Amino acid sequence: MIFQLLINGISLGAVYALIAVGFAVVFSVLKFSNFAHGGMISACAYMGFFFQRAYVPAPPIFVTILVTGVFGMFLALFLDLVAYRNIRKHKSPGIYYFLSSLTISIIIEQVLNIRFSKNPYAYPNIFESTFFMVGDLRVSTMDTMIMAVSLLILVALVLLIHKTKMGLAIRAVAINADTSRLMGINSGVVVVMIFLIAGFLAGVSGVMLGAKYSVYPDLGQTMMVKGFIASVIGGLGSLGGAIVAAIMLGVLEMFWTYFFGAFSAPVMLFVIMLLFLIIRPQGISGKFAKEKV
Amino acid sequence: MSNYQLGLIINSCISVITVTGVFAVTGLAGMFSLGQAGYLAISSYVTFILARTFGLPILVTAFIGVGLSALSAYVISVPTLKLRKDYFALITMGFGQMVTAMIVLLEKYTNGSIGYSKIPKVKSLFIIVIVITVLVVFCIRNLKYSRFGRMCIALKSDEIAAKSFGIDVYKLKLRMYVLASAIAGGAGILYGLKNRVILPDSFGWNLSAEMQIFLFFGGTNSITGAVLSGFFLKLMPELFRTVKLFGQSLQEYRTIIYCVLILLVINFRPNGMMGEHELSFAWVRSVFAKKKEHMKKGTSR
Repeated sequence: MIFQLLINGISLGAVYALIAVGFAVVFSVLKFSNFAHGGMISACAYMGFFFQRAYVPAPPIFVTILVTGVFGMFLALFLDLVAYRNIRKHKSPGIYYFLSSLTISIIIEQVLNIRFSKNPYAYPNIFESTFFMVGDLRVSTMDTMIMAVSLLILVALVLLIHKTKMGLAIRAVAINADTSRLMGINSGVVVVMIFLIAGFLAGVSGVMLGAKYSVYPDLGQTMMVKGFIASVIGGLGSLGGAIVAAIMLGVLEMFWTYFFGAFSAPVMLFVIMLLFLIIRPQGISGKFAKEKV
Repeated sequence: MSNYQLGLIINSCISVITVTGVFAVTGLAGMFSLGQAGYLAISSYVTFILARTFGLPILVTAFIGVGLSALSAYVISVPTLKLRKDYFALITMGFGQMVTAMIVLLEKYTNGSIGYSKIPKVKSLFIIVIVITVLVVFCIRNLKYSRFGRMCIALKSDEIAAKSFGIDVYKLKLRMYVLASAIAGGAGILYGLKNRVILPDSFGWNLSAEMQIFLFFGGTNSITGAVLSGFFLKLMPELFRTVKLFGQSLQEYRTIIYCVLILLVINFRPNGMMGEHELSFAWVRSVFAKKKEHMKKGTSR
């Protein structure tokens, strides 16, 4: 039983990690918490659902994930144009980013609410059998798939950030935008790149969350808070920390839900975050983004 | 006026109270709180449950309710205010979610998601609400022009500079946040008295976000703007109740309209509708002063 919970927890944590990394990427460069991520996840979950339903027989889930990822990219670019571009141009204080991303998130949720109502939609069955046996352990196929895809994407992302030239530019802009512009880095392109990455991650996590649970308008919102908590515990803006924290959080939530029930889980997560902020405010990674003059 | 119209005005006044509270936190001290609805929930649930179980008058339990929401604000803010502003927004948001989860969990006392409806009726609620609204707005206006308020504005524009001028930033933020939570608590009690039923859903994340939207629409630097937008934006969807769009009442689109408005404001008028302007009666005084001068000149000739 414990082993099974562990697997479920890691798979849940891997999805949280996708969300947390989506945050962390935007935060590290633009220095604001992108609340719109939750709305994007919801929108992408619906998109994936309708794509999956539109064709008979249903396309393989990997195609859906890819298509939705691309849709997420376009959505993120569009949101950047509508909500953030002018703020960047005016160099308004960070509080406006907050408000703007918050507004976008609410808009998406409400539009979905009105268009598709609050009823949850369930993805059609993706796999022939919902579990397979390893020895005498029942392992859920869905959870394994989610775990594999998330870990694959996370590895690809870490490689992108640490091995390519674009990744170097992103890291440079994350440290100091003005200086890196002086060094000849086109920070506009970097910002676009950031939103592409975040959008892709939102798309992928949207499809997987939708397939694991079901699709409803506040899906993204609920999951976003958990991804957010993970990125705080990991240290805002740090990718490695966010991944580790998210997987820990997923495992912890699985165990808590099994032993104490699902209703008290949000309270537990909140208390953990509060404790973490008291004891170690810089997060697991230890990189503390201090506000400078 | 009919009961319906009175009800609308009471709703708008409650919205004004909450937005004024948020003005104290966000407009003056520059903290972004997303959990104000949680304080509304705490104080209204505590007040009405205590009043019911112990048979105390509401006036007594209201103090306990408001005090408790101020206390929980204190507990939340002590560890978090030393950190970045982002953490603060986040923690308050998590706090709001935790409060609604707690209400559902403590089903035995709060009646869970069905809603708590054992709320006594209060006579002449309209006058009480109006008086409290005026009082709160007046106090916050005075606060803005006091030494305390000027310290807050310094803190908002540059925290480090404010620190170097000897302002105890941490203590100031703590006080403002506790004050705003107490105001939110008061609004929560009025909300309960008006609607006679309180649900965990009505104190959700959307309410907190709505307050921030109202505030930014009016302009974070102007209490006049905050009050006006709090009043009229709350009233607006009710006025257009009969208008239909795509076969649904415009009220369904309420939140979307708010959001589009705020996006337009952020993109094209970042300081909000009122900017830095305040409604004041200084011009009346100046007009009279000119007249007096005129009369003096007239007599001297």
